[in-house]
Amino acid sequence: MSAGRYDAIVIGAGHNGLVTATCLARAGRRTLVLERSDRPGGCAVTDEVWPGFRVDSGAHEFVALDRRVMSELGLGRNLETVAIDPMVASLQSDGPALRLYRDASKAVDAIRAFSERDATRWPAFVQAMGEASQALRVLSEAAPPRVAGADRADLFELARLGMRLGRVGRADTIELMRLLPMTVEELLDEWFEGVALKGALAALGCRGIRQGPLGAGTAFMLIRGLTPDAPPRAASWLPGGMGRLGEVLADAASGAGAEIRCDAAVAELLVQDGAIAGVALESGDVFESPIVASSADPRRTLFGLIDPVHLDPDFLRQVANYRDRGTCAKVHLALDAMPGVPGTDEACPSLCVAPSIEYLERAYDDAKYGGVSQAPHLEALVPSLLDSSMAPEGRTVMSVLVQYAPYDLRDGEWDDDRRDSLADSVVRTLDARLPGLANRVVHRQTLTPVDLETRFGLSGGHMHHGEMTLDQMLIGRPVPGRARYEMPVSGLYLCGAGTHPGGGLTGSPGMNAARRILG
Amino acid sequence: MSRQDYDAIIVGGGHNGLITSAYLGRAGLKTLVLERRHLVGGAAVTEEINPGFKYSVASYVVSLLRPEIIRDLDLPRHGLEILPLESTVTPLPDGDYLGRWADHDQTRRELYRHSPRDADAYDDFGTLMYQLAWAVKPILAMVPPDPLSMSPSDLRTMLRLGKHVRGLGEKQFHALYKLMTMSSADFLDEWFEFEPLKATMSASGIIGTFLGPRSPGTAYVLLHHYMGEIDGAFRAWGMAKGGNGAVSESIASAAREHGAEIRLEAPVDQIIVRGGKAVGVALENGDELYARTVVSGVDPKRTFLDLMDEGDLPAEFVDAIRRFRIRGSSGKVNLSLSELPDFTCLPGRGPHHRGAFSISPSIEYLERAYDDAKYGDFSRRPYMDIIIPSMIDPGMAPPGRHVMSIFVQYAPFDINGGWDDAKREAFGDAVINTLAEYAPNLPEAIIHRQVMTPMDMQEVMGLTEGNIFHGELSLHQLFFYRPAPAWSDYRTPVRGYYQCGSGTHPGGGVCGASGRLAALEILKDLGR
Repeated sequence: MSAGRYDAIVIGAGHNGLVTATCLARAGRRTLVLERSDRPGGCAVTDEVWPGFRVDSGAHEFVALDRRVMSELGLGRNLETVAIDPMVASLQSDGPALRLYRDASKAVDAIRAFSERDATRWPAFVQAMGEASQALRVLSEAAPPRVAGADRADLFELARLGMRLGRVGRADTIELMRLLPMTVEELLDEWFEGVALKGALAALGCRGIRQGPLGAGTAFMLIRGLTPDAPPRAASWLPGGMGRLGEVLADAASGAGAEIRCDAAVAELLVQDGAIAGVALESGDVFESPIVASSADPRRTLFGLIDPVHLDPDFLRQVANYRDRGTCAKVHLALDAMPGVPGTDEACPSLCVAPSIEYLERAYDDAKYGGVSQAPHLEALVPSLLDSSMAPEGRTVMSVLVQYAPYDLRDGEWDDDRRDSLADSVVRTLDARLPGLANRVVHRQTLTPVDLETRFGLSGGHMHHGEMTLDQMLIGRPVPGRARYEMPVSGLYLCGAGTHPGGGLTGSPGMNAARRILG
Repeated sequence: MSRQDYDAIIVGGGHNGLITSAYLGRAGLKTLVLERRHLVGGAAVTEEINPGFKYSVASYVVSLLRPEIIRDLDLPRHGLEILPLESTVTPLPDGDYLGRWADHDQTRRELYRHSPRDADAYDDFGTLMYQLAWAVKPILAMVPPDPLSMSPSDLRTMLRLGKHVRGLGEKQFHALYKLMTMSSADFLDEWFEFEPLKATMSASGIIGTFLGPRSPGTAYVLLHHYMGEIDGAFRAWGMAKGGNGAVSESIASAAREHGAEIRLEAPVDQIIVRGGKAVGVALENGDELYARTVVSGVDPKRTFLDLMDEGDLPAEFVDAIRRFRIRGSSGKVNLSLSELPDFTCLPGRGPHHRGAFSISPSIEYLERAYDDAKYGDFSRRPYMDIIIPSMIDPGMAPPGRHVMSIFVQYAPFDINGGWDDAKREAFGDAVINTLAEYAPNLPEAIIHRQVMTPMDMQEVMGLTEGNIFHGELSLHQLFFYRPAPAWSDYRTPVRGYYQCGSGTHPGGGVCGASGRLAALEILKDLGR
């Protein structure tokens, strides 16, 4: 029984799904968004976990939305952001924390305490990274062009892309190509000597993926997470929490005329004569549409929602090989007070435990053999220092991203004991660098990759919808030959973080996909 | 005016330098090769360290030597004879083994014994790799263009490259993309399930690199194993009769026949530059020799940072050479044996002794060996690639006795505390102890042992940091980035100064392509 007919259906009201839906609706398509949970936002949500304590349960950090999303969706006025500064305080096991500031001269002063040479190089490093990220932005704002077997239209597209890169600068492009396959260690060794600085920056190169800073392609990871006009490690706070982003994007979609239905889990993609015909919900409702764009991850979409008879076995084999087992967990802490950061009286809302490249690599070694890091890499955000709405007066709430905690443990499963010991290890690691923290913990919550999978529908609990190593990026995301958002069933598209240019709160995949759909 | 003793002087008598000299000599140039040591060959030398026993001291197998070089220089007439290595056996800790034999059906039966699925996948995998090797071959044979240049010849090459890539089938192009970016372990995981097979195959992706099998970028080196075979050379994977020094000797003989002069024990101190042009070389003994063209076959660090005055080079270029990664990661152990090693998995003497042995029981084993090196130690239980040259060429050892060549990874150049005699012996012990787990009679059979650390390779062979490829073969150090962007066409920022070593495209292995392509570029510049 058909419950309705639409021009386009978008699966998942995460940020990418909402961006796609808004673009389609603005182009006059009758668009329906189907969301499995009770509210839009996907991973961009804020929950009250304990009375008065609110945490961002999914996405951890906001850097910047794709500039096209900002302008075309007219978000400038509605999305208030507060720059986090110092950008990060990198905690050391002894001695003062290394603080990095947005302002170059303040950052130079702070770095000087660790290394004179690094301090003088910081501004040039920031500029070089900005240039690289500018060249990379050109690539991320287009569907990856077809190279092998390119026809005239493809060559035209390729030439246009080449011209845009040319405008950024040929030398920058060649330099970017050199940087992409490097390890983040190699990249940083070309600039700096300070162990602490290199650790704090290298952490950006492996965040969310199963690679250490000695893995090739981690330089690319660092650059892709940047925005051209801010230094590495810059991030912003969204007043009210990450959920605000979900609300703003949902408002934009509704405002453009898209219909959003929550508590509407999709059970199956309906295919007729080799083309998409609509979707069936778990409730039994059927919605018809010649176009379905899924912002769910590739595995969930292609292995969970569609009868395999409609797909080529060779394609399915490639999707089966897509690596998307997560390695990040989240630990949320409620504290009765915020312990001081060694070396400063200043409020530091963003902290990290990434004291050296070796520390990160050793943390990765454990995961390589299927274990949880003995000494984990931590990224901690203290929202209550930025926003009084996040915790009761005088109290502190802290949200910690923990790496590495593999989804697929070699021995055993994620259970309450393991959840507890992970939280213990996080508290211990922080306490060693923020003395007194352990005694101030009032509540704690652990979300393992398995919990993230259950809660957010992320296959493998992977926060980026799949590894972001080079082979699964650019023309390889999610699989080579299918990087241009169309799937092998006519009318079916992917529009989530499992497509180019990948994860992070940018909305770029959603925007690129919408443009492909609209042709 | 200025004195000119030779048309071309080549610094370094390694295989690439010799190949360049032979090609230049063949074109009628008066050519001189200057070699620091008492013998030619560089890292491809055979030495009788222990009387009666001949060691291929460093480089020990031939697989990639370009067939056009063998043909052009008529190397067989100069004594080159490649003897096939017929098998690879991986002994396993549980007493079993994995064998891959010259006979295809035997290999299939053997794989089937361990995993029927892998036996089936093995042929498909081989087919794909052959296809990819074909796809890559023209790129390896190309002089890399300068992507920033607008000159017609560079644009033409870029266009040719673009056409080639566009012309690849989509399936091949996509497989190639994965191969260039994935780790060898991940790449093989998509095909096979039997750990020792994956580990042994992935080992060819890590040889000479400072990377583990799970490091992205190692998959591409797997191709090299297949490169040799597509040239149609019968069993191109082999050992030169007389050891790898015989390869160098045959090239030297060809070079001499073409009129090249080879001077031994003639270390070069400095390239003489006048008016921004290389005009000759100063030897360590004070002699000065002049030539219109000077070519360096030594690694990029030596070529530009040691042999030249930095002031003669653009600062940007010096920076690029400084950051060129050249970390050594491997060592070599050569043994004189009173008897053959008796492997627990294949007791007694057998055909396996005429092939290679790979100590690579699992990916995790290799990865843990890498972990040791990452943090500045040699691997306690290393990866090893072993051959018994005396079983292939009886001339390598006295009758009844044997020599064993063990390539060992990992041994970092920058080892914690630095290399000294004690550490070298400890490294040698780790190798022997690990091997004794598979062949218990080995320690007793050793008459003499030579341990080469990366430090020794630097001291003896002149390889900076002991890197056997003159620079790591990671993606950002290949093709037009090798050794520095815009200077990958064998020319250098100094007029009249060229590079022809493994630190240039395509680099690595006893392949000789760098030496040949450099010679062809030099001749082009000279209008020959």
